[in-house]
This record gives sequence, C-alpha cells and structure tokens, in this order.
Amino acid sequence: MTSKNNNKNLVCPFCSLHCDDISVTTDNNSYKVNEKNNVCSKKIDSYNLNNRSITLPKKGSEFVTLSDALKNIHDLIKGHNETLIINHGVDLSGVRSMLNFASQRNCIIDHVNSKFLYQNIGVVQRTGYMATSLTETKNRADTIIVFGNKILDKSPRLLDKVITPKNSLCLKSKKEVLLIGDFSEKIVKDMKDKCNVTNIKFDLNMTNDLLNATLSSDLKNIKGLSKNNLAKIKKIIDKSKYLVATWTTSDFIKTRNPKKIISSISKFIVNHNKLSRAGCMPISGVLADATSTQALTWMTGFPSRIKHIEETFKHDRNAFNSEILIANKNIDVVIHISTINAGKLKINKNVKNIVLGHPNTSFTSMPDIFIPVGIPGIDYEGIMFRTDNVVSVALKGIRSLKLPTTKNILDRLA
Amino acid sequence: MITQLKSGNVYDPHNKVFNLKKDIFIQDGKIINKKNIKFKIDKVINCTDKIVMPGAIDLHTHIGGGKVNIARLMLEEFHNEKDPSYDSSAIIAPSTLKTGLKYIEMGYTTCFEPALLPINARQAHAEMADIPFIDKGGYALLGNDDYFLNLLKNKSSQSTINDYVAFILKATQSIGIKVVNPGGINAFKFNQRALNVDEKSKYYDITPREIVQKLTRALYDLGVPHPLHVHCSNLGIPGNFLSTIETIKAANGLPIHLTHIQFQSYGNNGDKGFSSAAVEISNYLNKIDNLTCDVGQIMFGQTVTMSGDSMSQHRNHKHAHPKKWMCMDIECDAGCGVVPFKYKDKSFVNALQWAIGLEIFLLAEDPWKVFLTTDHPNGAPFTSYPHLIKLLMDKTFRNDILNQLPKDILNHTILHTLNREYTLNEIAIMTRSAPAKILGLKKKGNFSEGSDADITVYDKKINDIEEMFAHPILVIKDGKIAVENGQIKEYIWGKTHTVTPEYDKAIEKDLSKFFDKYHTMKLDNYIISDDEMNRLVGSPVYVNDCLRKRKQ
Repeated sequence: MTSKNNNKNLVCPFCSLHCDDISVTTDNNSYKVNEKNNVCSKKIDSYNLNNRSITLPKKGSEFVTLSDALKNIHDLIKGHNETLIINHGVDLSGVRSMLNFASQRNCIIDHVNSKFLYQNIGVVQRTGYMATSLTETKNRADTIIVFGNKILDKSPRLLDKVITPKNSLCLKSKKEVLLIGDFSEKIVKDMKDKCNVTNIKFDLNMTNDLLNATLSSDLKNIKGLSKNNLAKIKKIIDKSKYLVATWTTSDFIKTRNPKKIISSISKFIVNHNKLSRAGCMPISGVLADATSTQALTWMTGFPSRIKHIEETFKHDRNAFNSEILIANKNIDVVIHISTINAGKLKINKNVKNIVLGHPNTSFTSMPDIFIPVGIPGIDYEGIMFRTDNVVSVALKGIRSLKLPTTKNILDRLA
Repeated sequence: MITQLKSGNVYDPHNKVFNLKKDIFIQDGKIINKKNIKFKIDKVINCTDKIVMPGAIDLHTHIGGGKVNIARLMLEEFHNEKDPSYDSSAIIAPSTLKTGLKYIEMGYTTCFEPALLPINARQAHAEMADIPFIDKGGYALLGNDDYFLNLLKNKSSQSTINDYVAFILKATQSIGIKVVNPGGINAFKFNQRALNVDEKSKYYDITPREIVQKLTRALYDLGVPHPLHVHCSNLGIPGNFLSTIETIKAANGLPIHLTHIQFQSYGNNGDKGFSSAAVEISNYLNKIDNLTCDVGQIMFGQTVTMSGDSMSQHRNHKHAHPKKWMCMDIECDAGCGVVPFKYKDKSFVNALQWAIGLEIFLLAEDPWKVFLTTDHPNGAPFTSYPHLIKLLMDKTFRNDILNQLPKDILNHTILHTLNREYTLNEIAIMTRSAPAKILGLKKKGNFSEGSDADITVYDKKINDIEEMFAHPILVIKDGKIAVENGQIKEYIWGKTHTVTPEYDKAIEKDLSKFFDKYHTMKLDNYIISDDEMNRLVGSPVYVNDCLRKRKQ
C-alpha cells in the first residue's frame, strides 16, 4: 500500500504527449492530480478505482481465480483456429510479450488505430517527407499551421507545451499560428495573448487547393476562401523561417480522401524546404499507437497487421485488418489488450472475446473472459513512445494494487 | 564446466599470437589459463585444421534507434526475403532478430551503434536489447545540440564541457561520443545548407573546428578510451578530403577517430570533377599516431543510407532509389535522414567510391589503425563483410572486379597498382583486437585469462576465404555454443557496454533548468539508469574502465 499524501510526479500514459510534469498525490491506492487547471486532470483521475471497477478476473459474469481464467483462455485458444490480438494501448513490455505470445500461438496482431497509422506512414513509404519534433517546434517554429480541431482534444497540452510555450530558445517574437478548420472561439480567444493566431474556417477537403494556392503568385479565390484571406495566409507562410504543419489523422478520416490531404501537406512542406525550413509533426493516437508501431517495426520490420506463419511474421495490411477479419468471421478468438483506453471496448458476439484490460474498462457487452491488468505508469513502470516517435519515456508506478501486468499474463499464456 | 578448444590455429593479436597451434580453455563464460585448471575438463572440441579467433567486433554499424526504424518502415516492399529460418525483413534494414542471427552466424559477437541521439537513447537501447546474441553499445551524438552550442557560445570552461560530456555518457548509457557534421545539423535547422570546417554557423557563430577541438579535448581529459568518433563536414562532396584533413588538424594531436572515411576522401579532379584522394588521406593516417579510422566500404547493389547528418541527407535526397526519403529535425538535439540508394557498378562515381575504400584499406600501413566496416547499411549491409575480406586478401579477385568497372575510373585511382593482400593476422587485428583496443574493451577481442569467451572457429579447409568467413563452423558467446555447423544452438542475450567518467553533479542543476525551460520532458526522465536498462529496457550494463583519472 502506498502511504497517504505522498506527492509524486506522474509520467502520463494517457495521451501521446506523455507529459512528465504532472504532480499527483497518492492516498491508499488512489491518486489525485494536484494542478487544478490542468486540462488533463479529469481524464487522469478517471482511472482511479470506482464502484464499477473490476479488480478480479471474470468468466462471463462470474468472478474466477486468475489460474482458472488463464486455463479458460488456454482452452479457448487451443480449441479454435484463428486468434487475433487487438492492441488498444499498452507499454513496450506488453508489446514485446504480445509478439512473443503471437509467435508461440500463430496469432494475428493489429492495433485498433491502424487505419490512422496507414494514412500517415503511406507518405513515408511512397515519397519524400520532412518531419520535426515537439521540442524543435517549441523552440524554432515561428509559424505553425494546425489542420483540424480534434488535435487539441486529443493532446490538450499541445498548446501550452509546444504551440504557445512560455519560453522559446531561438524565437524573439510571438509565433504565428494558423488554425485551419472549425476551432471554437474560446480556443482562438485564449491563444490571442500568447501568439498571433489566425483562424481560417475551411473545409479540410480543400486542403490541397489551399496549399497549392499559397504557392501561386497570382492569387485567386478558392472554394470557401476569399482572395484576401488567402493573401493573409500566404504572407504568413512566405515570411516563416521555420514552419511546422501539425494534424491528427482522425480529423481527416471522414474527409473524401485523407491520404490525399496528408500527401498534399507533406508535399507542401517538402517544397517549402527548398528555400526555407519546415517540418511535419503529426500527432498520433492516444492508445500508445507510437509504442506499438515502433516496437513491432524493430522486431518484425512491420508496424502492424502481422501474423505468425511458418516460424516467421508475415504482413498484410488488408488480410490482417482486424475490423475486416471480425466482420467476415475469419476469426474465432479475439484477445483485446487495453490498459489505457477510456472508451468502451466493442465486443463482437460472433467471436470469443478475451480482454486483458485496466480495472475501469467498459464494454459494449461482457467478454467471455476478463482479466484486470495494471495500467503502465499508474500501476507499474514501463516505457512508452511519444507522438513524434523520437522520444520515449520511462513511466513510473504510483499505486500498488498488485494487479498483474499484461506481460505477466501473456508470458504465462505463451 | 570447463571446455577445451583443442589444437586450433589460434590468432590472438593482442597477445602476439599469430597462427599458433594451441588450446583455449573456457570456464563460466571466461577464458581461463591451462595452469589454473583445477577440475576435470568436461568438454573437448577438436579444432585441428581450424582457425580460432576471438569473436569479431563491429565498431560502426547502424543497428538501433529512430533512423533504423524509419528505414524498416519505409522499405516495406523489400521485406520479402524467403529464408525460412528468419523473418522476411530486408537485410538492408533487418529486424532486431535478423540482425542478431546474421551477425552471430558470421562470428561477430559485439557491435556498436554509432549514432545514438541522446534524446532517442532509450529507444536505441530498447531496440538493441532485442538483438539476440551480441553485446552492444552506442556512441552518443553531441556537437549539434543547442545546450552544447550554448556552452560554446557562452565561452564555458573546458571543465564544464567535460562535465557535460561525462554526464551525457552516463545519462545515455553510452561508451563513446560521436559528432556528425559538427555544427552542421544545427545550422541546417537555421537554413544553412553547408558548413565548412572554419565557417561560422550563422546563429551560434561557432565553427566545426571549435566543436571538434572541445570534444576531442573533453574525451582526452575524461580518459574515455574511444576518441571522438567523427563524421566530418562535407560528407560525400567532391573535394572534401581538404575538410577531412582540416578536421584531423582540429584535434591538435589528441586522439581522433574518423568514421566511414571513404565518404570523406574525395578529390575533385578530372572532367567529371570527382577523383580519389585516398593517397592524401592515407598519408595522414600513416603519419599521425593518434588518428584511427573505419572505412565505410561501399558494395554494389541496393541499400539504404541513414545518418544523423540531415544537412547532407537532404542534399542527397534527389538521388534516392527508390524515390522516397525522410529527413527530421530532432528535439534541439540532432537530426536524421534516411535515403534509400542503389550503388551501381556501371556508375563512374559509385565505381570510384568502391575503389577509394579499398585504396584506403590497402594503403594503411598499420592494421591497428583502420577498421573493417561498410557503415552498415550506408555502404552495404554488414553481411558483405566476408566479401570485403576476400577483396582485401585476394588481389586477383579484386582486380577481376575492378576490370569490370568503368575504365575511366583508372585515371583517378591507383587501386590497380596496389598488390597488397591482407593476411589472416591483419584481418584478425582489424576485426578483433584493434576495435577492442580503441574502444577500451579489455575483455573482448583477445584470449587473455579472464576475457569473455567470445570465440569464432573457421574451417581452414574451406578454400574460398569469403565462404570461410561467412560461415564459421563454431561460434561461442559468453562460453556458450551459439552456432555450430551453421545451426543456431542456443539463444544468448548480451549486455550493453558503457563508460562512466567522473563529473561534477552541478551540471545537472543547470541542465535541469534548461530542460524545464526549453525541452518538452524533464531531465529526470531523460536520464536512463542502470536499473532501468536492466529491468525495462532489457539489457544489463557493463561499465568499462576509463584510461585514467579525469584530468580537469
């Protein structure tokens, strides 16, 4: 048990920024974020145990011992042909064990956010790409273009840490920030003191036209944007010495052609580097997407959607797409691994479902077997990768519920 | 348990043993002296007609870290190799599993990642921890990070710089320091596209020469065995041998190691404006005691170039093959660039690059000063080492290939006039004893009592030297048989080699303020402890000795 009123620093596992400056107070296996103004406090606090938390393994609606739960999982997998592991977010040790387990049991592995991943990496796999990272953006970017409004919901502290920071190593004047999309007036107003903000309410489907138009010396109206507004944007871009384009793919996923939008941003940034400096900084998902991508890539060569076949991992981004596999009933058993997901897990009753999840995991319907596991960074130490894929953080443990880790469970099952 | 390797032809240059028929004894993972054997010998391995060498050491191979993973991700279409005993990842960007398997099968037991970005160190170590069999380590990149450049700009004392360098070694669990395009990566972030040795960066007003001077001095003062590992200014640019020579001079006689020097030995003579300057560079190499190099030999075929030198990589992206590439500015720390590339034997430039690398090898008078590398995968994947060894040991083989290359390169290289053939002694020096010495690995690369029992046994009866080096019949790692007759016998997990010179902890206070103000993580989170290495990263740390107590 942890002692009462023990102040600790949390390295936050719950979004891809992985902030490490969050003070928490622990009290008998609960904790509270100390900074009241911290926009993430509520989210972090929500992982505290509550009266709906499940801290013991369950088979259907019945509590069972861990040994029984493991035996049941073992039997389920043994009795069926195809097992799919869906990663809803876990630390490096969990990904390593997932791969080891998959190699023993010939499983398929997919990440629940793979559809977003493949929109972004497609650019790297097809063409040129210029990237930058959070600290470079904080200190060097005099101009930042933010495409889409979800980015600030997904990574709430991106604003105060990176886009409008208090300190900047190389900048003498306020940053120029272009918000492209439908941002709230409050956000724009709040930013006004900290940077020169310009909000262009604009249909993201037209991103390619917008960026191309800024390259032209003969400005014309484009759909949804007047010539004057375009001139304003062009002036800011042309003046920039270090330009950063940032987005989160989920903002584009409902557009007509997300790939085209990301490609056009990338092409624009590559082009900008001919005479000036610029970089792309996509913000990845909040379900440890970067951790999964990095670790699977170094261990197999592929970032996701792999299957162990004949002593080696094969990759097929279509054939091993978890959504399609389940929809087509090509899978018998699904193992969901969900240590940091606040959302409801979708349980498809056409297959057997096993969930290794944090105690507050909620489901659309009860899985066949549930084993509560620890949250990396809350219950145990671990490593996760930040959105820019270059920084990884060492997560600490701040409570001691004695929950097994994902690694513990998967290693016992392998 | 005691194992005896009996009657092998032993090459142990560190102990001046060259092709001497003798026995090697192993106990508890270490080499033991016959005189000290107190128990019965449990296992005898007959090594008659076998060549016995310490496990090979690769001191410059890109095997872990962000840029390696970018290459893996980028080159998905190349991950289609069919060998059933491996995964399908391409050898130019292999998975960690394949990296370990391929190295151990060639008798390599220790490898060093030469471009470990401090901010990316945790990832690089985690990747390397997943490489089976080999011991590993990394050189932390400095000289382009804003903190260091601010120290120089503010005229900080050498002692403060020494503290910072020692802190970085400890915090990033590294064994050496590398500088890549000194100051150039940082200058590129301010839109400078070139930076010569005595040219000042526009923002910091600092020259590459000053950076090299300060860092070579720091490592000397701290007693770090491996000298500053330098990727010089102007990589790949015709005529760059002049800036390479100026970089050598910048060390002021202190130890300095120039890496992948082939890429830094270009003249600009002739109608194509590209020629070999291997003779000029080799003259320096041969006359300056404290100068060492690795070659970075190129081989013809598809590969991928990866480097911290974002300035050069961005310049070179137009040569990408296939047409895709990536460059990145990283965390006020450094940068990187990944550009796939195909070296073509019909290309005048590529053919001359091939010849320049071999010239440097063959002109080097002292094999203790030149190391066998391809700068994996920049010049070629590491699996081409046996082929490279054959090129060095077999003049006829070498000239046969040379004769198939564009004839006009002969006007710009002296390779065809070089008759030297490397001996097995020299190969043993440059792949075992010399890298161990230059890295300060006392227990590697030799058969002294107490050294690690990392041993490679080759079959003398195999006539083709390339085949012999590609497929040792026995590889022992830490006293355990890892490979026997081409079959993996046991998975063994290595450790991470570091050095930890002393430093004044006061530097951490200043750094902590810098991190709080300008970084996006805290200093505490940046530092990787031994405990973290062991429990979370997955590779225990072995701290090697410094050469001496810190001087200032």
